[in-house]
Amino acid sequence: MSANQGASAAKTLAAIKTLGFTHVLVIPDSESARLYTAINEDPDIDLIQPTREGESIAIAAGLWTGGQKPLVLIQNTGFMEAGDALRGCGMGPRVPLRLMVGWRGYGGAMAEKLPIDSAYTYTEPLLKAWGIPYWPLMSDDDLPALEQMDRTAEETSMPAAVITGYAFTE
Amino acid sequence: MIERMDLFRAVHARRTDEITVLTMSATLQYPLVSDHELDFDFLAFGMGHAGDFGLGLALARPERKVIVFKGDGGQLMSLGSLVTLGRYAPGNLLVLFLENRVYEQTGSQSFSDRVDFDTLARGAGIEGGGATGKGKIERIETIEAFEEALPRLLTEEGPHFVICPVVNHEHVPPTSHTNHAGRIQKLRKGLGLPAGG
Repeated sequence: MSANQGASAAKTLAAIKTLGFTHVLVIPDSESARLYTAINEDPDIDLIQPTREGESIAIAAGLWTGGQKPLVLIQNTGFMEAGDALRGCGMGPRVPLRLMVGWRGYGGAMAEKLPIDSAYTYTEPLLKAWGIPYWPLMSDDDLPALEQMDRTAEETSMPAAVITGYAFTE
Repeated sequence: MIERMDLFRAVHARRTDEITVLTMSATLQYPLVSDHELDFDFLAFGMGHAGDFGLGLALARPERKVIVFKGDGGQLMSLGSLVTLGRYAPGNLLVLFLENRVYEQTGSQSFSDRVDFDTLARGAGIEGGGATGKGKIERIETIEAFEEALPRLLTEEGPHFVICPVVNHEHVPPTSHTNHAGRIQKLRKGLGLPAGG
C-alpha cells in the first residue's frame, strides 16, 4: 500500500471505464465528492443518485439482471444501512454486485486521532461477516484492486468490494 | 375497490413480452394465473425494494415494459424511493401500486389511515417527472376502469405510477423463500443473458 493518501478521481474514473462499468450508483459523501463530480461530468457512464443505500443495491441488482454493469459507490455507514438489500439482492440470489465502500474514519484511526469513529471500527468486521472479499484502494498504486474486485465478482457471481480510506484527490 | 386476482388476470390476459416484478402477496397469487419466463418473484429479495429493482431493470432494458406490482407496506419502508422514481424512472416503467392499507401477509395489521399515497407520489415529483418528464400518476378504482386503461398503460410512454385500491377474497398459497439464485437466472435466461458473472 502506498504512503500516498487518496486515489486520483480522474485515474479511478479511467479505471472504472476500462472495466466497462455502465452505471455508478452513489449518494454523495465527503470522501467521494471528487469522484462523484468526475463521474457526473463523464458522458459515457450514467450516474444514479438514490436516496438511501438499500435502494442503490436493489437498483444495481436490477441493472445487472437486465444485462448492465453497475458499480455501487457507498460509504461504510450506508453499507451498514443497506444490510437487508445486500442480503436479498446480492448474496442470496448470487448477484455479483461490485462495491466501492468508503471507509469513513480510517484516516483518523491511522493518525491515532481520538475518539475513533465507530464507522471505522465496524467496517472490516462487517465485510468479513458478510463474506464479501475486499481490497484496499488507498492511492493510485492500488488501482489494480478494482480489476481484482471486478474479476472476483465475475468468477464467483457474488458481491466483492474495494474499500477507500481517504478522500479522492483531483 | 378492485379484487386483486381480477387485476392479475387482466394483466396476464393483456401482457406479452413485458417483465413483471412480483412482490409480497402478488408472488403467491400471480403465479396461479401466469407462468411466464419473464415473471420475477421478488418476495425474498428485500421488502421495500421491488420498485428499485424494477427501476434498474427498466433502465437496463428500455426496449420492453417493466411492470412492478408494488405493495403499500413495502412502499412505507422506502418512501425516498419515490423521489428516485420521480427523477430517474424511464418511460418503460409501469408501477401498479396495490393499495390494501394493511400488512396482509402478517395478519392484516393496519398502518396509519392518514397516509395519502397519491400526495406522496406527487410530492416526490413523479407527475411530469421521471427521465422522460412525462411521468403520470393515476388512481384506478374499479376492474372495469383498469381493463379499459391497461392497453394504454402497456403501450404509452411513461413512467406510470398507478394506484389501485385492492381487496382479496381468494386463496393465498403459502410463502416460499427458496431458490433465490435460480429465480434471477431464470429471468436472465428469459432476457437472453448468461446466468451469472
